[in-house]
Amino acid sequence: MVFDPHSIRQEFPILQQPAYEHELVYLDNAATTQKPIFVLERLLGYYQTTNANVHRGAHFLSDQATSQFERARETVARFINASEKGQVIWSKGTTEAINMVAYGIEHLLDPEDEILISSLEHHANLVPWQQLAFRTGARLRVIPFTSDGLWQPEYANYFSDRTKVVACTQVSNAIGVQLPIQEVIHHAKQVNAITLIDGAQAVAHYSIDVSQLDCDFYVFSGHKMYGPTGIGVLYGKTDALDSLLPSQTGGEMVLHVTYQATEFNILPYRLEAGTPNIEGAIGLAAACEYLQKHDREAILQWEQFLVQRVHSLLENRTDIEIYSPRDNSTLVSLSVKTAHIMDLNNYLDSKGIAVRGGSHCAHPLMAQLGVSGTLRASFACYNTIEEAEHFANTLLEAAELLSED
Amino acid sequence: MEHLPYQNIKEQLQSCRSKEETFKALVTLSKTLIRLTPEDKIDSNLVKGCETAVWLIIDRTNNIPQFKADSDAKLMRGILVTILSLIEGRSTHEIQSMDLSSELAQLNLGSYLTQSRTNGVLSILKKIAQT
Repeated sequence: MVFDPHSIRQEFPILQQPAYEHELVYLDNAATTQKPIFVLERLLGYYQTTNANVHRGAHFLSDQATSQFERARETVARFINASEKGQVIWSKGTTEAINMVAYGIEHLLDPEDEILISSLEHHANLVPWQQLAFRTGARLRVIPFTSDGLWQPEYANYFSDRTKVVACTQVSNAIGVQLPIQEVIHHAKQVNAITLIDGAQAVAHYSIDVSQLDCDFYVFSGHKMYGPTGIGVLYGKTDALDSLLPSQTGGEMVLHVTYQATEFNILPYRLEAGTPNIEGAIGLAAACEYLQKHDREAILQWEQFLVQRVHSLLENRTDIEIYSPRDNSTLVSLSVKTAHIMDLNNYLDSKGIAVRGGSHCAHPLMAQLGVSGTLRASFACYNTIEEAEHFANTLLEAAELLSED
Repeated sequence: MEHLPYQNIKEQLQSCRSKEETFKALVTLSKTLIRLTPEDKIDSNLVKGCETAVWLIIDRTNNIPQFKADSDAKLMRGILVTILSLIEGRSTHEIQSMDLSSELAQLNLGSYLTQSRTNGVLSILKKIAQT
């Protein structure tokens, strides 16, 4: 391994503090990543030198803020290889972006239509579609992916002329597996369905090329890719975005208003009602720049190597079940037969190790796996081999302590 | 196994100097809980608002109510032993006049009491305080 996380780690001030009397080991990166100084300074700099409302008021600061804000849109467009910056719509995060689509296409759906999702979705890419189905009378159908995430030929049978929308996650937040989104998009296009890919768990690890993917919509959050909270992206092809009705209306998204009617603004503004999250957009663009400054392939290989190391320390144990793949995953999701997930979670916490225990907002997937929850350790660029080993060894310690009656 | 008196448990928990020691003390306490039978572990006995399943049965036929509780997590069972030892043998009136949450707040349990999505101790105390 050529990658050395120790120097990157210095760029994350939060990791330099202890947790209780232990060194902080942060392995909850799939929930949210920590932020590098590069991003933090950009946020502080914005408020120290630039803060003003955007797209209104002709004055020095407003011009500066507007140009930084729109440059941020360009940066994000380049980051995901969108063909135009107007295809990047700001949202609060992945969940809001999915809802913008689920409400925005409501007028296009009929009771005989079908909405397809995978069985590996988290609630954010499930509940909005289920509720859209309730509102329109359309039918929600679930492609029964197995937990290895591999494409099976019989899945093609789920796609038909009735299929109006296909929503699929790129990487499962609960079990780390990558889904065959190329196949999903391919089959969706053959039946002219609208496609949405949830990239929340993918953007921090993989290079995203929306033009090559050729999906209609791609959504992700800033805070899971070293950016700030409260900002996310709805990418859409121009005609796909044009077909959306704005799920929120108000200022900023209008051209002309009378008491009788309103003429909406053009894209992207038509879908961005109200004062936007300006600092968030600027911070997210900084996170994109930060990632592009580094060898992303080397970081990904390092994260996957840490997962393999944890596997090799745990996989010979008969009392431990691992649900995530050994290879090509940046997280480990597991359970211990003789211990409750929350007990394991709390023991690791008492040792300064931050992981996530529970259902990972994916109740139907947990039911499919036959568990009420799993313990998830998810890795980022700043995690070290010592941390991966410490996690595995402390988990074994916890299993020992908690198995006694 | 007989429950330890509350004073005893209080001293034990207050002497813990770290989160790790508190965790281990609660796991040790959990072993003294009289477990519920499968017949008692029914949905209607579940306390809502707990991510770890908690069953609480209160028999109020007498002036001094009888409590039975269980959980699928050890840490929670340790907390249940603590709560039960605090209220057992007291009348409903006496329990209702006690400030249970400020009493528990003195035990160094920190986030174990406040992780609302995780264990919902508050929901347990609410059910206990009902008449």
